Amino acid sequence: MVRQAVVVLALGVPWSGGAQDHGTQPAEINAPPTAQDWAALAKLPDWSGNWTPFISDQNRRIQADPVPWRPEVAEQVAALVAEEHAGRPKGLFVDCLPEGMPSWMLISHNAMEFLFTPGRVTILGEMDGNRLRRIYTDGRPHPPDPDPTFHGHSIGRWEGQTLVVDTVGVLPESYLAVSEAVGIPNNGEMHVVERFHLVEKDVLRDDLEITAPRILTRIWKTTRIWFRQRARKYEIVEGVCLQGFYAERKDERGNAVFVPIPHADGNPVPQSVRSSP
Amino acid sequence: MNRRLRSLVAGVLLAALPAGAHHSFAMFDFTKVVTIQGTVKEFQWTNPHVVLWVNVAGKDPQKPDVWWLEMTSPGNLTRGGWSRKVLNAGDKVEVDLNPLRNGSLGGALIKVKNETTGQTFSTDLRAMEKPGLQ
Repeated sequence: MVRQAVVVLALGVPWSGGAQDHGTQPAEINAPPTAQDWAALAKLPDWSGNWTPFISDQNRRIQADPVPWRPEVAEQVAALVAEEHAGRPKGLFVDCLPEGMPSWMLISHNAMEFLFTPGRVTILGEMDGNRLRRIYTDGRPHPPDPDPTFHGHSIGRWEGQTLVVDTVGVLPESYLAVSEAVGIPNNGEMHVVERFHLVEKDVLRDDLEITAPRILTRIWKTTRIWFRQRARKYEIVEGVCLQGFYAERKDERGNAVFVPIPHADGNPVPQSVRSSP
Repeated sequence: MNRRLRSLVAGVLLAALPAGAHHSFAMFDFTKVVTIQGTVKEFQWTNPHVVLWVNVAGKDPQKPDVWWLEMTSPGNLTRGGWSRKVLNAGDKVEVDLNPLRNGSLGGALIKVKNETTGQTFSTDLRAMEKPGLQ
């Protein structure tokens, strides 16, 4: 104890009773990338460009790879499907909270792009207020108890030309959705493993294995595919979900302002209905 | 301007289902196509859905009916050749739409002809599901 105090004082740091608790866990540092790290990226497959989901294939897959819902969950799903078929869809995402994982991969109609940097793959997408996934490929493990988020904590590794991504720590409220109107919160303990790889020059495939013991009876295996566009007009644009709830107007001082548009179930309420209730 | 109503069978039309990013489009009746003619009140180029507001002559000559037509996101429409400038307040338009099931003055936009500029735009994203489009 005396020796510790002497060392601390010798470093010019004011000693306090709690000081000896610090420094036992060295801070984990992300080292600056070397020229070699940047050069290594050139060996990865070329996933540049904009990737648009095959919406028609999404619909096909829901039939081809039925979700193994637990029986009590299947009843809820059947009720949601019935409501959607009856023209009364439940708006799972009309609150503009992120679709999150794995629903972004499963049901989005919007494009995404990949960025490769040393130690990380980043997926950026349209919608959800400019959605993104950070996938750490620097060899780190998941934190023992990650703070839950919509997209969870993702680590990845390259197996040849395939990026294998392991995701945990997704908020229990985040949906496992098969459409914008049919989905169930994962309710916790979800684990998603994905294998991204090119199947053709301009077709990317994500093989998903979703473990969600609170709502599924077994691992759900399914696949989603995206096609590549390189034309600049296909580039991803800003996607701020809540913007659609506001009209661009001028206030009394001439400032450009957003004014809320009355909405119901995620849709603007027609004015002619509003004015004559 | 008169409003023409037409009902067509479902089959072919389901292929033209607009892509809703954040909500299901099941509140629209895809077995029906309604055509309206009117004047653009506002073209709301916003996420998650672009909305076209159209004034259509109704029973009250002083007060037009206001229809709202919903479509997919700006990003998806841009890829289909749209931009925020293709429709402007005051433009005369003819719109094909799948109407709301509840009878309110709204629907999912299938196709719009801007009679002021002569341009026509559709919302069929599935027609573009292939790589290498220019």
